[in-house]
Amino acid sequence: MTEIRALIVDDSSVMRKIVERALRQAGLDLKVVHEAGSGTEGLDLLKAKQVDLILSDINMPSMDGLEFLRQIRAHNLAPGVPVVMITTESSEEHVKQAILAGAQGYIRKPFTAEQVKERVLPLLDAA
Amino acid sequence: MLLNGVRNAAIARKQGGGINGMEQTMAVSLRESVQLVSDPRNLDASVEEVFQLMLGVTCGRDSGPMRKEQESVTAVVGFGGLLSGACVFRSGSSTAIRIAALMTGMEFDEMDDTVKDAIGEIGNMLAGAWKGKVPDLAANCGLSVPAVITGRDYNLHVQAPEFQLHHTYRFGDSSFEVTIVCDGLQ
Repeated sequence: MTEIRALIVDDSSVMRKIVERALRQAGLDLKVVHEAGSGTEGLDLLKAKQVDLILSDINMPSMDGLEFLRQIRAHNLAPGVPVVMITTESSEEHVKQAILAGAQGYIRKPFTAEQVKERVLPLLDAA
Repeated sequence: MLLNGVRNAAIARKQGGGINGMEQTMAVSLRESVQLVSDPRNLDASVEEVFQLMLGVTCGRDSGPMRKEQESVTAVVGFGGLLSGACVFRSGSSTAIRIAALMTGMEFDEMDDTVKDAIGEIGNMLAGAWKGKVPDLAANCGLSVPAVITGRDYNLHVQAPEFQLHHTYRFGDSSFEVTIVCDGLQ
């Protein structure tokens, strides 16, 4: 698998590390991992860095994950880059909202590395 | 005071954002499914799921009280929408450090910001898993971001909740408490 540049957006630094570890356990060759503590930070990073994969929490202070996703799409910041939402919210309505906002994948917390692999690898293969 | 703040944040998040805003919230009622919402097995299953998947440990109910420690940590995640209230996680500092170590694969000597962050996330996942057990609740109840309190000799007091679940759990020789406080149900 080619080297991947990932952006992980979560207000919890612990969750960012757990997501990174799960990506590595899923077999991804991570060349670089950018971390952002909010949607606003994530947008700033996307203006400066190129990435191949974005994983974002939804419930975050200041700018939540759905608004972050809408802003990415509205400003065409990461064209063709798959976005996967990782969140405690699990209802069909939440999934629908995420998909409408432009997400390609949805992972519910708590999660296993195997679930991350199942959701993320097909998106990278298709990108 | 604290619980009110966290709850208000969850309500504001739910109203502001939304997942279909208040329209859907107003159309659904949990009043008739209060037994399902207050079923203690949902809380047990949520705790087992979160600890198994995120820490790799088997966790079960403990009939005794939580082991007392001088310093403790509490994570509060507010509910807003169809149900207002909070999910409260509480443990001693050594249990909190053990949880953070299992979650991150790191070692900690004290209850630093990373440990507090990990405990906040545990509270967040417990709240999300618990409300996810009831479909109407999953779709129509928002969560606040976690508030984490540390200190010694403090008590958490809630005035006359509609219902409350309060369980002690154990993994290995570590124990902790999880409380679901519901003070309003639409």
